Amino acid sequence: MIGLDLLPWPWGEDILAHLFAAVALVRGSRRRAAIAWASQQPGRRAWRLALAVSAFRGRWVARSSLLGIRRPDDLRRRVAVRGEEHLAAAPGGAILLGFHLGPPNVDVGLRILGHRVAWLGSARRSRAWSREAWRPLLDPKDNLFPSRRFWSGSLFRARRLLLDGGALFTLADGWSGREVCRVPLPGGYPLMIRAGWLTLWRQTGARVLPATTHLEGRVQVISIHPPLPTPGAHDADLPSAWPDILGSLVKDYVRRFPEQCPVLPFPKRPLPGSRVAVS
Amino acid sequence: MTGGALPERVRQVVARVAGPERTPSDAGPDTPLGAGGFWLDSVDLVEVIVACEEEFAVTFDGESDLTAEALSTVRSLADLILSKGPQ
Repeated sequence: MIGLDLLPWPWGEDILAHLFAAVALVRGSRRRAAIAWASQQPGRRAWRLALAVSAFRGRWVARSSLLGIRRPDDLRRRVAVRGEEHLAAAPGGAILLGFHLGPPNVDVGLRILGHRVAWLGSARRSRAWSREAWRPLLDPKDNLFPSRRFWSGSLFRARRLLLDGGALFTLADGWSGREVCRVPLPGGYPLMIRAGWLTLWRQTGARVLPATTHLEGRVQVISIHPPLPTPGAHDADLPSAWPDILGSLVKDYVRRFPEQCPVLPFPKRPLPGSRVAVS
Repeated sequence: MTGGALPERVRQVVARVAGPERTPSDAGPDTPLGAGGFWLDSVDLVEVIVACEEEFAVTFDGESDLTAEALSTVRSLADLILSKGPQ
């Protein structure tokens, strides 16, 4: 990785993408998982999609490690936001709700473009983030990482931030935490929506704005969608309309950008009884 | 509020969040808040913390106060509340 980081962007990212695709070809378990999933995506050639989704894993790793990206300015030229008006529409706290789909670092992209958005999620592991140029973007106030995998403190800080009218980006789905609903997807592996963001919404009344991200060529496009509708008086903990809205959004994303969904053929933890298993 | 009465009040707050199904019949000061005790997850613990702030009129610092150790048992949470000032 260090050697690839010395290359001008996007050479390192391209090499890593090709490497991940080659590994998927060679390693039987990865190849089978990719092809099994790809063959169930409508209108796509299974082999081609299997290679593309494997290659995208390499791009994801490269971007989360800032491979060849030295300064925030380098990233600024490669990030675009759509739907900014939804973020600016009303005062008060806002939860930007993302998914484990598409390229990483949505919060960083938004901050680089001038939006004050905190990140509630795992700490960034790559050493590249410790470079001086990135320090202004990694203020602890804007990065609510769990301490030694203990989430309560960062959830509590997120609650304060929202009550103070701030905005944060977090992920709806994941492999741990209380499950509130599932989005069934073609290929066997559903997206599991967890409870953390929902609790923050219940405790703060912040607006919830779904946010998706995808690559268009080399540019990372971040799309901020309209806020989830205000729940009715008789709605339960999870407002009844929300699972369908989130489900439609995710299904539409997977249909349009299946090659940018490596988490579906290569889940971090297979579901019990799932057809997809990755060694 | 004496240090002796506080754990019982904290236990009541925790039991309220956990509900009767998860509250052990013999819950006491040393009952774990998580696995093997009240079985609260990180999200439940935030609800406990918020309820404690209201109940005991204290303010927690999310960064320094809310550690895994401080939120391990009813007693450790009561100690944290006690350290934040009079209740």
